[in-house]
Amino acid sequence: MGILLTENTNVLIQGMTGKEGAKAAKAMLEYGTKVVCGVTPNKGGQEVEGKSIFNSVKEALKKFSAVNATAIYVPPFAAKAAILEAIDGDIPLINIIVERIPIKDMAYCLAAAKEKNVRIIGPSSLGLIVPGIGRIGVVGGPLVNEIFQPGEIGVISRSGGMTNELSWQIRRAGLGQSAAVHVGGDLLMGTTYADLLRLFEKDEATKAVVIFGEHGGSYEFEIIEAIIKKEFTKPLAIYIGGKFANVFPEGMNVGHAGAIVAKGQGAAEKEKALSEVGVMIAERYEDLVQLVHNQIYAH
Amino acid sequence: MNLYEFEGKQLLAKYGLRIPKGVVVRRGEDAIFAYENLGVADVVVKAQVLSGKRGKNNGIIFCSNSEEIKKAVDELFQKNIRGQYVAAVLLEEKLAIEEERYISIVYDTTTKQPILLYTEAGGMDIEDVAHEKIKKIALDIRQENLLVSLPYARELWKCFLTEDTRQIEINPLVRTVGGEWVAADAKIALDEDAFYRHEDWKNFDARTMLGRLPTERELAVKKIDEGEGYYRGTAGKYIEMDGDIAILFSGGGASIANMDALIKAGLKPANYTEYSGNPPREKVYALAKIVLSKPGLRGLWIAGGVANFTNIAETFHGIADALAEIKPTYPIVVRRAGPFEDEGRRLIEECAARNGLTMQFFGKETSMSDTAQVLAGLLK
Repeated sequence: MGILLTENTNVLIQGMTGKEGAKAAKAMLEYGTKVVCGVTPNKGGQEVEGKSIFNSVKEALKKFSAVNATAIYVPPFAAKAAILEAIDGDIPLINIIVERIPIKDMAYCLAAAKEKNVRIIGPSSLGLIVPGIGRIGVVGGPLVNEIFQPGEIGVISRSGGMTNELSWQIRRAGLGQSAAVHVGGDLLMGTTYADLLRLFEKDEATKAVVIFGEHGGSYEFEIIEAIIKKEFTKPLAIYIGGKFANVFPEGMNVGHAGAIVAKGQGAAEKEKALSEVGVMIAERYEDLVQLVHNQIYAH
Repeated sequence: MNLYEFEGKQLLAKYGLRIPKGVVVRRGEDAIFAYENLGVADVVVKAQVLSGKRGKNNGIIFCSNSEEIKKAVDELFQKNIRGQYVAAVLLEEKLAIEEERYISIVYDTTTKQPILLYTEAGGMDIEDVAHEKIKKIALDIRQENLLVSLPYARELWKCFLTEDTRQIEINPLVRTVGGEWVAADAKIALDEDAFYRHEDWKNFDARTMLGRLPTERELAVKKIDEGEGYYRGTAGKYIEMDGDIAILFSGGGASIANMDALIKAGLKPANYTEYSGNPPREKVYALAKIVLSKPGLRGLWIAGGVANFTNIAETFHGIADALAEIKPTYPIVVRRAGPFEDEGRRLIEECAARNGLTMQFFGKETSMSDTAQVLAGLLK
């Protein structure tokens, strides 16, 4: 079980001939993910990790019609075209690893994806992992088996590094993860915390969820709505970083692109609103595990 | 990047919006000469700042002669408007106002599309306007033509799309007694990730929102990420703060969590910095050298999570290069794990031994926050 990724996920990598794309292909295959082929314009006919490269998504899908997920590793200025190609090809899951995509390009792709019911994870996402099943991207890196093991805690993070760090804290406590997803730190997020909580709600393996959130932006507030509407009812603990940022003026960006100092969107304000609907607040990120552990196993 | 009002207005004028007749006076420039050249008797003198509520904080002064101008300009340059550095003042014709409106286009993170906000209650903070009085029009970024008949809406939309802005706000949008619409203010933020398709952005003056000019170190760090490989591993973020603990954090999320942990441990950061995305040794070296060059440091905290793909050996090589050069005498605490962690640990500990540095290294068995406490203990 877990979310987003199953044994039947067949992954395409756009930009697989590039340095990061090739590294990701290797990391994904090593973890047992079914990477079936790659796409890089003008490099059709080449091979990476024994997998065929095509010039376009269309060509790739002609040969490998089972592709149902894509990971995008292209430079930011080529991202819009690559994402739109994947949307045109009706690939239902697009994980955008690319960082620093202009907001306008991202908004364009998100509007196109919505029309076709395509799910986008990212941009600026490191990827996602369902321990024991597979990973998109390099989540866990070479230490993946030291950090991840199948388990009951869902992990959602605005930060790539903290996806791994939180997962490690879970493992260190002797527990495992049902899935870990890095949603990315940009202003516009393809899949939000609340979207993922709804998926975790339906997932039988998941007993609780931990979130690494940040100051700035309004996505944490969507969680409240999901809880009030009973779309998410499992134990949830959250850490929100960036309390120090209240010394900076409104409108200033501190941290990820989406972390902009704003009235009503500070770390403390988010914590207060979330705790009012029963979300457990961690003072330090490493306390998250203990909080959910107490909830799941204390009874 | 946030634009000053005068820069925003120049941009709006390009798209056919009428802006008041005006002139910018920077520090040290002759305000009276500028006023006389403007050729308008009644003017408004406006402090140019990047954030904050200027009107409520006496950042706007009306004048009718050279003496008043001199006094107003001197006064504004001595001010900090809600912590904001006054970079310049704008002298503008005083408008004969019939009515004031508000119009803006921003990204709505719920629909993930732009949204146009409009209200007839212009001239006040939008946060203070009753919800039902604000007209909200959802826009589709794929539609270049805007079928909205509000004043200047089409021009604004064109500007929003063409200039890669993340926010445009005109408050107030004024209708003059003569019946003309004029943008009396402009608040524009540009999306810095679109810089590669806007050559002209290079011409903007350097800026910070910290109530002062950018420091030499801040300017130097910004340059680290410039050039063709700007998106391949970043090491170009640095904000100078007034504490004495030098910071070398990795990862955007870990960095903000660690800042909170540092302050909780009773220490004060000398800077905010993070490098991430597997930057090469040279970028990390350049960053570390600048971070360590700040005078008055009392400790150094190098911290990051369990990295996914950042090469610990490669990045620590960069830090070790800088440490070997500067040979700090204050305590250094390191917490890091991830790919090539053993090699990274060995080389930075060897560097410490070779150069007689006081260093404590922690791997993933100790949490980041706990190592902030260790540093605090060493400094007692």
